[in-house]
Amino acid sequence: MKRIIFDLLKYNSEFRIGVFLILIVMCMAGLSFFSPYPPNDVFVVPPDAPPSADYWLGTTSRGQDVFWQLSIAIRNTLAFGLLVALLSRVISIVVGLSSGYLGGWVDRVLMAINDTFIVIPLFPILILFYFVLRDSMSTILLAVIMSSLGWAYDSRLIRSVAMSLKTREFTGTSVFSGMTIFEILRREHLPYVLPIIFSTTLNNMNWSIGLEVTLAVLGFMDINTPTIGGMIYWANQHTAIVAGIWWWITFPVLTVVATFVGLYLIAVSINEYIDPRSRLSRMGGGQS
Amino acid sequence: MTPQPILRVEHLKAHFRSSYFGVYREVPAVDDISFDVAPNEIFGLAGESSSGKTTLMKTIAGLIAPPLELIGGKAQFSFMPPETNLFGADPAQLAKIRWSKLSYIMQGSMNVLNPLRQIRFIFRDFAAVHIGGSRSDFETKTVNHLSRLRLDPSVLDAYPHELSGGMRQRVTIALATICRPDFIIADEPTTALDVIVQKEVLGMIRSIQREIGSSVLFVTHDMGVHAALTDKLGIMYAGCLVEAGPTADIFNAPQHPYTRHLIHSLPRIGDTVQRTGLTGTPPNLANPPSGCRFHPRCPLASDICRTERPKMRQIATEHRVACHAVAGDQA
Amino acid sequence: MTALLTLNNVCKSFMRGGILSRHRIEAVKNVSFTIENNRPEIFAIIGESGSGKTTLARMILGMQEVSGGTLSLEGNRVGGRTRKERLAFMAKVQPIFQNPFEAFNPLKKIDYYLLLTAMRFGGSADLSEAEAAADVALRQVGLSLSEVRGRFPHEMSGGQLQRVAIARALVSKPRLIIADEPVSMVDASLRMAIVNLFGELRDKLGLSIIYITHDLATAYYIADRLIIMQKGEVVEAGAARAVLSDPQHPYSKQLRDAVLSPQVTGSPSIK
Ligand SMILES: Nc1ncnc2c1ncn2[C@@H]1O[C@H](COP(=O)(O)OP(=O)(O)OP(=O)(O)O)[C@@H](O)[C@H]1O
Ligand SMILES: Nc1ncnc2c1ncn2[C@@H]1O[C@H](COP(=O)(O)OP(=O)(O)OP(=O)(O)O)[C@@H](O)[C@H]1O
Ligand code: SF4
Ligand SMILES: [Mg+2]
Ligand SMILES: [Mg+2]
Repeated sequence: MKRIIFDLLKYNSEFRIGVFLILIVMCMAGLSFFSPYPPNDVFVVPPDAPPSADYWLGTTSRGQDVFWQLSIAIRNTLAFGLLVALLSRVISIVVGLSSGYLGGWVDRVLMAINDTFIVIPLFPILILFYFVLRDSMSTILLAVIMSSLGWAYDSRLIRSVAMSLKTREFTGTSVFSGMTIFEILRREHLPYVLPIIFSTTLNNMNWSIGLEVTLAVLGFMDINTPTIGGMIYWANQHTAIVAGIWWWITFPVLTVVATFVGLYLIAVSINEYIDPRSRLSRMGGGQS
Repeated sequence: MTPQPILRVEHLKAHFRSSYFGVYREVPAVDDISFDVAPNEIFGLAGESSSGKTTLMKTIAGLIAPPLELIGGKAQFSFMPPETNLFGADPAQLAKIRWSKLSYIMQGSMNVLNPLRQIRFIFRDFAAVHIGGSRSDFETKTVNHLSRLRLDPSVLDAYPHELSGGMRQRVTIALATICRPDFIIADEPTTALDVIVQKEVLGMIRSIQREIGSSVLFVTHDMGVHAALTDKLGIMYAGCLVEAGPTADIFNAPQHPYTRHLIHSLPRIGDTVQRTGLTGTPPNLANPPSGCRFHPRCPLASDICRTERPKMRQIATEHRVACHAVAGDQA
Repeated sequence: MTALLTLNNVCKSFMRGGILSRHRIEAVKNVSFTIENNRPEIFAIIGESGSGKTTLARMILGMQEVSGGTLSLEGNRVGGRTRKERLAFMAKVQPIFQNPFEAFNPLKKIDYYLLLTAMRFGGSADLSEAEAAADVALRQVGLSLSEVRGRFPHEMSGGQLQRVAIARALVSKPRLIIADEPVSMVDASLRMAIVNLFGELRDKLGLSIIYITHDLATAYYIADRLIIMQKGEVVEAGAARAVLSDPQHPYSKQLRDAVLSPQVTGSPSIK
């Protein structure tokens, strides 16, 4: 693992830039633990102050320091995106690999469920959840709902790879070497779907963060947990742009963009590294 | 004299080059190969497993993509305008000749049929544009063509994994021949077929070849097929062409020590002589032996073999050998 | 004499086609034969492509259910319901596949499979015992653990890989090996090395091998008995050399006559 990161840093400039961006964002998120102000308190600093030596990124119309507010917001947003991505990856790997490998009625049942999730219209469902749950709607709950809605498409992708892996002869060798189904899926097939998983993790994080921001901006969210979307929501409520409080909008947007770009670059370069073809070439192998 | 060849391969070199995260590797899978294929001729190619046959086919078909790189030489088809080398040609021009002029049955292509698509749709996706006509016309044509390969029309409804290996292989042959190309490259197209079907498929390839006067480059490990089908035969070892000539000469008077071993290792029905495989390990192409690449396993190896690479020499009309121990006309 | 493998009227049918046009395919019809326990042999299956040879092999390996008849190994049904039964079964019957370059996961070192087989089937309790067992098996095919240790599939030649695949199958000390077209992807010289190895395994280890092939010449060269299949049915069975020298069934005759001899006599024989 250490070696992989070292190699990537040494030979891959996309990876370097991506790591740099994400490190900045993570530092920011980490700083939230040292915030001098509780995240939900308002009017702790003079409102509407532009960026200055005292308030690096300025202050909001609600009397909050943009820098410290941003740090807690990006922490929550990142954690949210990561949680959605992880949960939905787990579902799609389990469903995709087992459906592809086992085939037969297991496959039919799983794919029927899968296809139902693909055709469910997402946005209305989320808003429906918001209206049903109202005050009990927390960020964690939203993450769980979104991950159970966001796995279906990728698990179909994984299934099609798993189906072709199943017909490859080394799967037969593994069976007759005494591996259990679980071992075959984990040791033999998982490495081949890792590239898909990585690139879809990125897509999924971007998708969930984007959706979270959208929902929050529209006000369909628990606005008491500070997130990037929540910040933009409050800025809009106070017509920050019109009022010339540009720093209230610009810095959250920049941070989110840096996160997207950083994640993207890292995913692309890691993908190249773990792709079986490139792995084989590095090991000195022939055709995969 | 010999007519203008339809394919002329000159000093072709193609290497696999890869540099991933600091590990550099170069595999000379096609190393300085020259030969001609005349119109109306079936040129066979045999050789050791992983001696570069498939790579040579890919290079000739212009399917050069990293990590494979063209190092030098050229392959010129006569149906290309003169002096346009296949490798310099623009993609649009290449796309036009592919399938209608040049078709390529890839090794193991039976395993790359899209597993999620029925055979009928694979045919439609692939050949309908080249054939034209109405959908039902196309369907009849397909069915007729499949029947020449002894395939039942019901295979059209099957998914690839529902067919046996041999059936899938015939499907790919059907795909490659349905457009009646001028030049067919066939890389082990009949390995999964029983001998009766194999003979019929070879007969069909032969008859298509006769009908349109096309030429075929045919790779197989089955020396019986070479003996029965091919007009010329080339033998490859470790990225090099070591012997080439009329098939009869190669079978009846093999010159290169590797060819000799190969011909003598073939069992026959009705004789019970003990046959043996080649001793020693096959060469590692990433780090090939110096001089003649066969020298570590060659019973005739002498000092010069270890240092100097033998050149192809003419030893009889159209029969060329690359070996220090075989006397030839000149370098 | 006790039977090692008994097939009694084994059948297999598949359904094919869309929802509207489903039809039945009889891939294997009423195949019966027996391989005896104390008479090791190489039993060749040759025949038409699509005649059900692979399907038959997969049923013997318990990878596919039979749809009719019985298939038993030393009196027990093949496959097994529980994992324990399956392991006991796989210890006795092992496969070798067609493509040596595909037989191992390209991302894994090949000794891993040998050691795993030794631990799961060979009764090796720890790594050093497993290594010893793997080494014994590799020596039976003319290799050794030190040659194979730590190497990836692409670092070995096709012939070496096919021999490692055979060694892996030998680790569990099976009674029967099912080899589905084990030589069709390799060159002629390698082909002989592998079929000679089969002969040695039979003679020295007392192993029976079911050898599925399209290469009649190697079947003649090495097999003891053979069956010829056409459209799912066995059309002729008997001693390999006798059947191939003097086939009786019209299909067998046709098959025999279609063999292309590696000899050039005059002009190409395919006109
Ligand atoms: N993508 C690749 N990257 C690196 N090396 C490769 C690649 N593809 C093939 N090789 C190497 O090139 C050499 C020639 O391979 P090729 O597939 O052309 O052999 P072949 O003669 O067709 O063998 P076979 O008879 O088994 O089909 C081999 O040593 C192989 O390992
Ligand atoms: N999963 C499946 N679903 C439907 N039909 C199948 C399936 N597997 C095999 N078949 C059919 O069963 C028949 C026998 O196939 P099998 O693969 O056993 O032939 P084979 O004798 O091994 O042929 P080959 O020599 O070409 O490998 C074929 O008609 C094939 O289409
Ligand atoms: S050149 Fe030397 S080593 Fe090579 S084949 Fe001829 S005799 Fe053998
Ligand atoms: Mg090849
Ligand atoms: Mg088969």
